[in-house]
Amino acid sequence: MSNSFEIHPSIGKQTDLGTRIDGQELKTLVEAGMTWLKVNQQMVNALNVFPVPDGDTGTNMLLTMQAAYSEIAQSGERNVSKMAHAIAQGALMGARGNSGVILSQLWRGFARALDSAETMDAAMLVRALAESRNTAYKGVVRPVEGTILTVAKEIAAAAEQELPQAPSLADLFESVVNAADAAVKRTPELLPILKQAGVVDSGGKGLFIILEGMLRHIKGQPLEGVVTVQPLAAMQLEESMEAVEPGQDFEVVVDFRPYQPLDLEKFYAELSEIGTSIQVGEGDGMYRMHIHVPTENRYQPIDYTMQLGTVTKVAIENLLAQMESEGSKSQLSLHPVEPGQIAVVAVAPGKGIARIFASLGVSAIVEGGQTMNPSTEQILAAFENLPTDQIIILPNNKNIVMAAQAAASMTVKKVAVIPSRSVPQGLSAMLRMEHNGDFDTIVEDMNQALGDVETGEITIATRSIEINGVKVNSGEVIALLNGQLIESTSSIENACLQLLQKAHTEERERITFFYGQNISKEEVNRIVDSVRAVYPDHEIELHEGGQPHYQFIISIE
Amino acid sequence: MKEMSNPLGNIYVSQRAIATIAAQSALASYGVVGLAAKNLAEEVAQTLVKDPTKGVELHFDGRSIGVDLYLVIEYGMRITTVASSVVDAVRYQIEKATSLPVKYVNVHVRGLRISDTD
Repeated sequence: MSNSFEIHPSIGKQTDLGTRIDGQELKTLVEAGMTWLKVNQQMVNALNVFPVPDGDTGTNMLLTMQAAYSEIAQSGERNVSKMAHAIAQGALMGARGNSGVILSQLWRGFARALDSAETMDAAMLVRALAESRNTAYKGVVRPVEGTILTVAKEIAAAAEQELPQAPSLADLFESVVNAADAAVKRTPELLPILKQAGVVDSGGKGLFIILEGMLRHIKGQPLEGVVTVQPLAAMQLEESMEAVEPGQDFEVVVDFRPYQPLDLEKFYAELSEIGTSIQVGEGDGMYRMHIHVPTENRYQPIDYTMQLGTVTKVAIENLLAQMESEGSKSQLSLHPVEPGQIAVVAVAPGKGIARIFASLGVSAIVEGGQTMNPSTEQILAAFENLPTDQIIILPNNKNIVMAAQAAASMTVKKVAVIPSRSVPQGLSAMLRMEHNGDFDTIVEDMNQALGDVETGEITIATRSIEINGVKVNSGEVIALLNGQLIESTSSIENACLQLLQKAHTEERERITFFYGQNISKEEVNRIVDSVRAVYPDHEIELHEGGQPHYQFIISIE
Repeated sequence: MKEMSNPLGNIYVSQRAIATIAAQSALASYGVVGLAAKNLAEEVAQTLVKDPTKGVELHFDGRSIGVDLYLVIEYGMRITTVASSVVDAVRYQIEKATSLPVKYVNVHVRGLRISDTD
């Protein structure tokens, strides 16, 4: 599925909704909601409850809206109920994640309420919102309040209350959006885990954003090219490293605290004179600016931000040099497979990990990990592209196991899903591979191998929270053992040592470290040396994993 | 099954207790409208005594837990997505409550409940 759509030329111009809307107007509203969600996607993703960056609610809701929109993108239908049914159908087929499923139910109820109406007036919109709420609530035995469901309920109630004052469709929309905003802000009062994490509900926020996008369109406010600032934790700077174009020789990242509130429009405009790939993040009054500049301009962003505030940190990297060394290392030598042989497909979160899987005899790699799960289609494509019909897949992440199973059920090839929930489990299973062995025996061996290894992960908490009795402050280093949060501390070294202790490493023989892209080689060596001092008799291996977010993935066997 | 021990004694958590956690977290998942009896015998037994572990089969191999769930899902939803959320929720709740690893959660969709026809 394409991740972007051509935007309807009418978006961004003020629209007079009048008293009734038809199918084409509904389509434009859906497009506006989707576009606005896309702009705010990272912000919604950042509203995750767990202190690990694993939020994908914004992405899931956006993919669901895009599936809905692609169903109607070519449609010239003027009948509003037919249009709504098509939207609901598209949302149903493309629903991703829990929030996506609920969103598809909201659309389903909406469409049902319109029955076979040609056009929709204010009273019908009220009925449709009520039916959206009813349908969404029917999907669950014990509805949890403080979620997207609550927001849908408050929207319907507000619309019902406003209608007797006979407002226009536009006024009604405005009160709906205000109600959604208020409901989202109240979610932490209803759901303690949100309050604990200091966030509002992400699904509810996503729904608000969709409606707000529709309202912005009605009011003629712009939806694109809008200056947005993402939370610092949501900045994915490593992704901007993928490709470097001419004039992007240096990457400059500056942290600063402005003397006075930042005029973002002006800030962006000035920066775009200096370089490209501009990203700005904000947290607690602290700003982080990221930019790619040609060699001769490499000090300009720093000089410029120093005029605006106190610069606290500067990082400059030579991208060209980095790309060259990346390029020389990035050649994967996948295991060639012949018809009749057994091939293994592995999901890998980083280039280094992909290389290690390849060296162990994997025949195809699907990229994906904690924050971006590969789709069923991507995994299916990997199956279909292999010249053999006996395939084993290692998902290597708990969130990808289902997609792998779905892909396995869709192909005619014989596919076994080994439910590896982490990279170490996947590698442990891969060691049992024999390309000419008996399929069932290998699958059984691999399944057994999953239990032989403990998985440790070290990352930085993106927010303060208390889970499993472990208190975590935003910015602290946290250690997870087999997916469970077990330790929060101030240094990566400490986290590693505590983790190894809790994993009963003294009873094991081998420790393997896979270091991520956000930690320096010097620090890695220093930490591994201190681990060696504590476990002198253990076999200790060190590999470049190249995974995002996680400083270390640790395998203990 | 034995869960852990400390110098003062051992802690045992029964399979039924864990099955109850699985049933409750499945029912709290969006899209799940009920648990279904695994077979006729269980269905008959259900009419006599209400069992909080209806629709859950638990397997314990001494190290890790396996779960089979028999569910009724609301008609009109993408079943694979609903099932995948159930798997995540059940696994998370069991691991959180018992700190025992969950090896697998299989979802068997036994039926769909139709509240509204489109």
